[in-house]
Amino acid sequence: MNFSWRRARSIAYKEYKHIRRDPFTLAVTLILPLLFVGLFGFVIDLDYKNLRVYVRDNDQTSVSRRFLQEVASSGYFKLLPVHGQLELERALMRNDSPALMIIRQGFGRNIRNAQPGQVQLLADGTDNVQAGIMGTYIQGALQQAAAIFAKENPDISSLSAPAGERIRSRFLFNPELNSRWFIVPALSTIIIGFLAIVLTALTVAKEWENGSMELLLSTPVRPAEIVLGKLMPYFLLTFVDVLVVFVLALYVFRIPFLGSFALYMTACGVYITGALALGLLISVVTRQQQAAIQFAFAAGLLPSFIFSGFIFPIENMPLFFQYFTALFPQRWFLLISRTVFLSDAAPAVLGGALLAIVAFAAVMILLAVHKFKTDVEP
Amino acid sequence: MPALGVGVSQVSKQMGRTQALKRVDAAFAAGHVHGIIGPNGAGKTTLMRLLAGLLHPDKGAVSYSEQGEVVSSSQAKRVTGYFPQEPSLYPDLTCWEHLEFFRDLYGLPREAFAARAEELLQATDMAPFRDRPAGKLSGGMYKKLGLMCVLLNRPKLLLLDEPTVGVDPVSRQELWNLVYGFAGADMTVILSTSYMDEAARCAYVYVLDEGSLLASGAPRDVMQRFGVRDFAEIFLNHERK
Repeated sequence: MNFSWRRARSIAYKEYKHIRRDPFTLAVTLILPLLFVGLFGFVIDLDYKNLRVYVRDNDQTSVSRRFLQEVASSGYFKLLPVHGQLELERALMRNDSPALMIIRQGFGRNIRNAQPGQVQLLADGTDNVQAGIMGTYIQGALQQAAAIFAKENPDISSLSAPAGERIRSRFLFNPELNSRWFIVPALSTIIIGFLAIVLTALTVAKEWENGSMELLLSTPVRPAEIVLGKLMPYFLLTFVDVLVVFVLALYVFRIPFLGSFALYMTACGVYITGALALGLLISVVTRQQQAAIQFAFAAGLLPSFIFSGFIFPIENMPLFFQYFTALFPQRWFLLISRTVFLSDAAPAVLGGALLAIVAFAAVMILLAVHKFKTDVEP
Repeated sequence: MPALGVGVSQVSKQMGRTQALKRVDAAFAAGHVHGIIGPNGAGKTTLMRLLAGLLHPDKGAVSYSEQGEVVSSSQAKRVTGYFPQEPSLYPDLTCWEHLEFFRDLYGLPREAFAARAEELLQATDMAPFRDRPAGKLSGGMYKKLGLMCVLLNRPKLLLLDEPTVGVDPVSRQELWNLVYGFAGADMTVILSTSYMDEAARCAYVYVLDEGSLLASGAPRDVMQRFGVRDFAEIFLNHERK
């Protein structure tokens, strides 16, 4: 028997009716993305502001005061001056601030003599992310202070030395390293990677549990028609979520979108298809809703958060895991998503990633069809 | 296309730890109403699923024929209608939506469907309930809807697994009338039942207990062979042995 579009469409239409009449599915599909966006976009903020930093200025010169003024004006720090060694030690013991900054005596003199000005920063390493970010902020403030100082004192030759002699860091595409710019474009990865799998994981298992699969299998319908028919309505539903997150990213979070919209939408379509097909595969294999939902949670949540690079950078993983993550489409879609939002990279740059998600979707669909049983054998 | 005949030869089937069928032989002649009777756990559903091609025998074979010519199981499946014992309709879909869904699954042309659906709705007295969801139908109406769905395609072989279980006596009578109304030269009906009184309504009965076929033939002949007045006695005597 050949593949029939009419049968596939009838399965899709039936599934659409189920969705329309099931407030739970609709609520999950509409509320979950908003929950994710709210949680990651608003609540979790990896940008630190007003960090309490104790400052001991042992130099007490106009240069050191100018430097401190610059550090404070960045808005990242709330500087709390401490006077004398004893008070410094007490501040250290109190452990109520993430960092302590000591400006050495001779800081101003060194700078005036074109020597490096020395600042000691004692950061609380128990929060390594915060400590790292703080280091970057202080570096930035130092550079800023140096630039302003050079402008205000053009007579000091050392600070107008050729650019090549000093290290300059510039962050491309996200110059302020705004964490929201980093997180929000990645949210579609998480939402699709989780929601799409859970949505379809229930559909086939539900038919097995409520007995309708037995009747369905006694008709001429083919596995490929059921798989495709079940993918279609959930594809549209998930795509609506992607568009909602996209609009929120642009107009609520004001994330720039510099890349190709067509490329992004194509990638979304392919990634959604792969995730939905994986959900179907889980459903086809388990045939039980409870088991299916457990598998779907594991297959959706873990790779989305851990193996995608969303939280832990892939480059920092042991070599085995760097290769291992390549199996998960979340990793590739995340790369595409962040790249097309924040840069106008040529589509060719993302060719490999796009190919990876296409391959994943194709393999999942073929597996779901292949594993689909056409009988009721246990 | 005339009705299909079905042959079952030396069929055995293990379901989990239970030997559900033990070397069962049966010949279901085309164009008649056949009843597989037996108590719960006799192996009726396993046999019905084997006939529907939804299970495969461990040993033995199921064969289909049309006017003496062998028909492949895939060809037979295309002209077989099967309604399972367990609830298998979609509770949120209405009667009419079910009919439309099965129309597309069977690939029926729209005009032919309209006429057939109307005919079935009239015959089953279900026309007033066409917009009622399956989940809100009574037991009898639910079975009638299932019957309509599988009859849409004008099957040559109709398999009904315990169609009258959980149905009130009046609806049971109606369902039987429907089965007889649609059965004929172009449709073989095989149904299973655990109601012994229903055996007498079939042209041929197949007495199944604990996976073995105890007897088969016209109801009167079978009862004579066992020297009993009703079918329940056959099982009671078998159990005593």
